[in-house]
Amino acid sequence: MKRKVWLGGTLPLALGLLLALLFVQTSLPNPVLYLRISLSTAVLLTGLFTTILLTAALWQHFHQRDRLAQQKRELRAAAAEDRRRFLQRLDHELKNPLMAMRAGLANVSNGHDETTRQALASIEAQTVRLSQLTADLRKIAELETRPLEFVPVEMGALLAELFELAQDHPGSEGRKLTLTVPQAPWPLPPVPGDRDLLFLAIYNLLENALKYTAVTDAIELRAREDGRFVTVEVADTGPGIAATDQPYIWEELYRGKAARGAPGSGLGLALVKAIVDRHGGQVSLSSRPGQGSLVILRLPTA
Amino acid sequence: MTAQLTLLLADDEAAITDNLAPFLERSGYTVLVAADGEAALAQVKASAPDLIILDVLMPKLDGRAVLRQLRQQGDWTPVILLTQVGEAFERAMALEEGADDYLNKPFDPHELVARIRAVLRRARPGERPLTATQKLISHDLTFDRLTRRAWLADGEIHLTPKALTLLEYLMTHSDELVSRERLLDSVWGWAYPAGTRTVDSRIAELRRVLGDDASNPKFIETVPSQGYRFVAPVKGAT
Repeated sequence: MKRKVWLGGTLPLALGLLLALLFVQTSLPNPVLYLRISLSTAVLLTGLFTTILLTAALWQHFHQRDRLAQQKRELRAAAAEDRRRFLQRLDHELKNPLMAMRAGLANVSNGHDETTRQALASIEAQTVRLSQLTADLRKIAELETRPLEFVPVEMGALLAELFELAQDHPGSEGRKLTLTVPQAPWPLPPVPGDRDLLFLAIYNLLENALKYTAVTDAIELRAREDGRFVTVEVADTGPGIAATDQPYIWEELYRGKAARGAPGSGLGLALVKAIVDRHGGQVSLSSRPGQGSLVILRLPTA
Repeated sequence: MTAQLTLLLADDEAAITDNLAPFLERSGYTVLVAADGEAALAQVKASAPDLIILDVLMPKLDGRAVLRQLRQQGDWTPVILLTQVGEAFERAMALEEGADDYLNKPFDPHELVARIRAVLRRARPGERPLTATQKLISHDLTFDRLTRRAWLADGEIHLTPKALTLLEYLMTHSDELVSRERLLDSVWGWAYPAGTRTVDSRIAELRRVLGDDASNPKFIETVPSQGYRFVAPVKGAT
């Protein structure tokens, strides 16, 4: 690419040199030319010439940038598609063995000693867990492509309902829960979306906050708007997330160091991200170990 | 004592049929097994089972093709298709396909038995199942599944798309106890604990629009801590 530019750029010089040599070395006539030109015309021509050069250079630059951005988008889409196909295949390959295991377990009667009974119970529980995991993975993959029914969602009412649910959650005792939703100068605008999915996404964040905080910690559910986006924040004074974990928490099955002791599938945040992506929004996190975490969802209002 | 009912289980995975068949037998059925679609069709012809459990992916002839052939021949033996019906277009296709119920692998074998019982209870020999009829009628409620419109008495009722799909699911599974988790899974396409409240609020919408009293239900009954049941009789019409 670079070489081509160099060759193209120096071609006129090379041609000029060649012709000059030809005129000098051979017996071709080599007359002296007198060019008369007014200063104004010369200035105008110089300007024109420079503009043409600059425009060409800029056009080339932007064209190149667009093409790179396009390539990046395509690569990202291809990677997402690959991942989806992989998840589908994985789901498909796990389905039948798991089905056979569940059917087999259903045939084993209870007439065993205590140790065998315990072993069977735990095999059964783990088989169910694996089934759930494959189902959840498939659902995240489906969420990325299936058509959604968008309606205007009143975020104020949605957040109030979520807040109430979080307060009733068995894990909420002792936590200081607060909800901040603006009413003045105007309430939050509606967000076009699938209400049930938005509910699920924010509920997941609240549940995480409840799960990882201790009694006396504070959890805040906040929302605001800036004309283009409604921003929903879930903040807590919990243990925070290590800096090394932060880039990966939105990936499927990723579990940070602190999360390894807690129950969960490692799919909650991946689900949140998939839902927000489908709404054309963005997710982000800032967290300081020992101080707490802040998860931010930005949802476009139009 | 009535004669034992016969089930045909068609799946190409021996590991599944080897385990599922004895389980179904212990549940009180005679079980025949077919390992591919052509064998399944031959078995239907030879032994006329009372219900067929069809896996979708099978060699020679897949489950959907088997079902299509049966229905084209006017055979309305109840069929439970082992796949997921998620999206609206799939549901529209399912209506044409004519299965009586759908179950996605891996499932709880006890759930399969519950579905078999429900399907057999609903089934009217030789007739189209409710899951494959265009119009569902219950008392003065009419639901047109192709145009997705519903009428109560003489007036059209207006429901959100989710509530319509929920009503459709309940009506096609009438007289069956349906858990919130199953509704979430079949109607919403995801089942997470937080979602049970979502189901409740849609049921409330349905009741409001249908003028149904939760404490004395004409259509939708709440089964405490278990789920919901569409209690009114449902007829199909084309």
